[in-house]
Amino acid sequence: MRLVVDRQQLNTMDGRPAVLPVLVCFRLLLAVLPLPGQHLLKHDHQINSPLTSYLRLKEGLWMLDNNVDPYMGGSFHHSPLLLSVFSTILPPIPIIWAVSDAVGAWALLRIWRARQGLSLHKATTSTAESLIVSAYVSSQRVKYASNQPSSCLLNPYLLFPSLALSTSTFENSFTLLALMFASEGKPSSALLAIAFTIHLSPYSILLLLPILMLLITSPTSQLASPRPFHGSINRIASLFGEFMLYWLVLVGAACIITDGSWSWMKASWGASLTLPDLTPNPGLWWYFFTEMFDHFRPFFLMVFSVHLVIYILPICIKFQHDPLYAAFLLIGVLGTFKAYLTLADPGLFLSMISLFPEVHGYLRHPIVTTLLHLHAAFLLPLQHVLWVSEGRGNANFYYAASLVMGMAGGAGLVDACWAGMRIALGDVKVELEGKGQVARWEVAQE
Amino acid sequence: MFSMYFQLLQACLLLLACLTTSVVGTSNSGTSAGEHAANFFGRHDSTSGHTNNWAVLVCASRYWFNYRHMANALGMYRTVKRLGIPDSNIILMLADDVACNTRNKFAGSVYAEAGRRLDLYGENIEVDYRGYEVTVENFIRLLTGRVDPSMPRSKRLLTDDRSNIFVYMTGHGGNEFLKFQDQEEISAFDIADAFEQMWRKKRYNEILFMIDTCQANTMYSQFYSPNILATGSSEIGENSYSYENDNDIGVSVIDSYTHYVLKFMEGINKTSQTSMQDLFNSYDPVKIHSHPGIGSDLFHRPLDKALITDFFGGVAQAEIFPSQEDACPIGHHESGSTSLPFVPESGTPSLPVVTSPSTLTAEMHVWDSQWKEVRKWISVFVVGCLVSWVSFVR
Repeated sequence: MRLVVDRQQLNTMDGRPAVLPVLVCFRLLLAVLPLPGQHLLKHDHQINSPLTSYLRLKEGLWMLDNNVDPYMGGSFHHSPLLLSVFSTILPPIPIIWAVSDAVGAWALLRIWRARQGLSLHKATTSTAESLIVSAYVSSQRVKYASNQPSSCLLNPYLLFPSLALSTSTFENSFTLLALMFASEGKPSSALLAIAFTIHLSPYSILLLLPILMLLITSPTSQLASPRPFHGSINRIASLFGEFMLYWLVLVGAACIITDGSWSWMKASWGASLTLPDLTPNPGLWWYFFTEMFDHFRPFFLMVFSVHLVIYILPICIKFQHDPLYAAFLLIGVLGTFKAYLTLADPGLFLSMISLFPEVHGYLRHPIVTTLLHLHAAFLLPLQHVLWVSEGRGNANFYYAASLVMGMAGGAGLVDACWAGMRIALGDVKVELEGKGQVARWEVAQE
Repeated sequence: MFSMYFQLLQACLLLLACLTTSVVGTSNSGTSAGEHAANFFGRHDSTSGHTNNWAVLVCASRYWFNYRHMANALGMYRTVKRLGIPDSNIILMLADDVACNTRNKFAGSVYAEAGRRLDLYGENIEVDYRGYEVTVENFIRLLTGRVDPSMPRSKRLLTDDRSNIFVYMTGHGGNEFLKFQDQEEISAFDIADAFEQMWRKKRYNEILFMIDTCQANTMYSQFYSPNILATGSSEIGENSYSYENDNDIGVSVIDSYTHYVLKFMEGINKTSQTSMQDLFNSYDPVKIHSHPGIGSDLFHRPLDKALITDFFGGVAQAEIFPSQEDACPIGHHESGSTSLPFVPESGTPSLPVVTSPSTLTAEMHVWDSQWKEVRKWISVFVVGCLVSWVSFVR
């Protein structure tokens, strides 16, 4: 039985006050106005890492201008494409970052719409109860439609790195664009966007498999009704080939600017894998490597890298019915265990929670996660100043704060996993049967 | 980093080429490796063959009335420091502290002349062995290197077989002995044996042994190790006298022999080519009131070729090679430098420094070319084409 589309609800959904343009204007204003603390933000180690820092980008651009190999000094880890773009067509001004932020927010909104809008056209249930459920859900949809842009543009974890002109903004925007194109069913654009993301940050390869799965299936929420993967596996091979083509073209373009030398790969991608720069950051890696014997370094680097990769298959297999949720969880994994973590990475995870309002009710400890994040957000800059600027603390203080951040990320990830699986079990329905009330489990799966 | 290694490799290759050409050019077939090395090190006029300088300055007597012995040692300390030996290479042993003695009217200062114009104590001296640490045992242990493991590096004589050592001793002495601290004495045989141990353990290249005591020349009469040049202030049966008193300090402030040696040294600077023979020629027994002696039988170089700065200064030889572009036979040095003693610091071996800007430019050529702009735009164009193709065509 086809679900009767409630046109009125559709209209209400589209007729919400335009939140996105207001927020975009606000963000552009922030970029244009000379803010007092921007200099401090550029030097802050919580929101800048050696791989994404604006100061290092400027240094690389200066070295390029002065005919010095930017990758010779060991301080420049950005991609050569950033070098070529920012020295030719775009100057590295704050407006670019504001536009990137706006693009990311718009992409988030479109993902949301793709996830919710299509389910209006597809029949998934046949009972009257599910009609009511879906009406309830669609009214929730109305409520939550405005959350996406604000969760992206007003999230301090994403706003501050963007104000600090960190290139993690571009990585996040490309990730969101990739998810958007994949949700809307445009394979080439999605693969190009993910190729860009992987070119900028090699660990985003974690997201390749969910995006391929998403392209083959649909982004609609199937969390409540898990079923085996129903896309055609054969397409994956051709999509992967297309992705490799785009990625190779990008690598070629990067090699063009370095005139055929491969040193940039070692400096930009190799930095994520071999951790040459031990600048303290909110991540969990650097502390280990400050005190490790060189003998053990390769082993630990391998372990830490493998630790990220092992999450791909289990999450994709478990959430094969909802690849967008799998991508969300893998973004959470990246946001906790990445090599050079900044606040932008858990920020993306937290922003994307707004895409899945159906799991919000099933989160077991959202308050704990929020408080842990709050603790970490206050402790990290405090301990950093105490250690580095004042000299009264030491590295252990700061690493303890980053452990709190790791716990926050882990708590959020575990909770999201749990909620994504719990929603499939359905709710307890209390029915009147005979003389008393009987609790009957209503299974939503068919 | 690779360019650094490349430069180092080039420097080593150049040194090797230098060595081979000098060998081929100067010596005939049949010379041994040792002679080759000697030719390499001795190809200039100063044939010393040392690469670093050390000084051991010992004042062996205590009490206020031996003020002049402290001033002797401090005067020599100032001289060797002025001529370039750093504190790390000087072992200064003062048996008593006259600067802070309660009888010193000018507290914290030690003067070596009656007018008190030059303070030898000052604020920047390093006394390594002081007070009761100045003993015969410590002195011999210092020379031979058999020190306790707890002895800090600043109190060790860390010489090698290319070190020239200036050993200066002053105090009260007699026929083949020197009195330490009014308690014990060291004999000439002890010092001779210590020097022989040093020779066997390759702890010196050449030693200049200078001693200012009564009957000083007897102290070096028992030496039997090679490469030792010795000089003393007075013959057997003679006393060494002090030079002058200062009326305000109240005691004699300098010994005669040391005073005239220091006065001679005031005319020496780091680039001086004055030889030891000139110093010995300046000895005037009438003025010194005793007959200074010279023991050069164990010293195999001609004295007029041995420079003062070979022992008193920390002078290193540096040779300027022509840069690589107009590099020509490096083996013949007369073209480039006359061996100008060039002093960065003591103890630096004279390694030729080759600057080769050509290697650096080869690597920077990639980034330097005028095609850089073109390449940038090409890469942006490629990316733009890809993006537009994907968005519009696919």
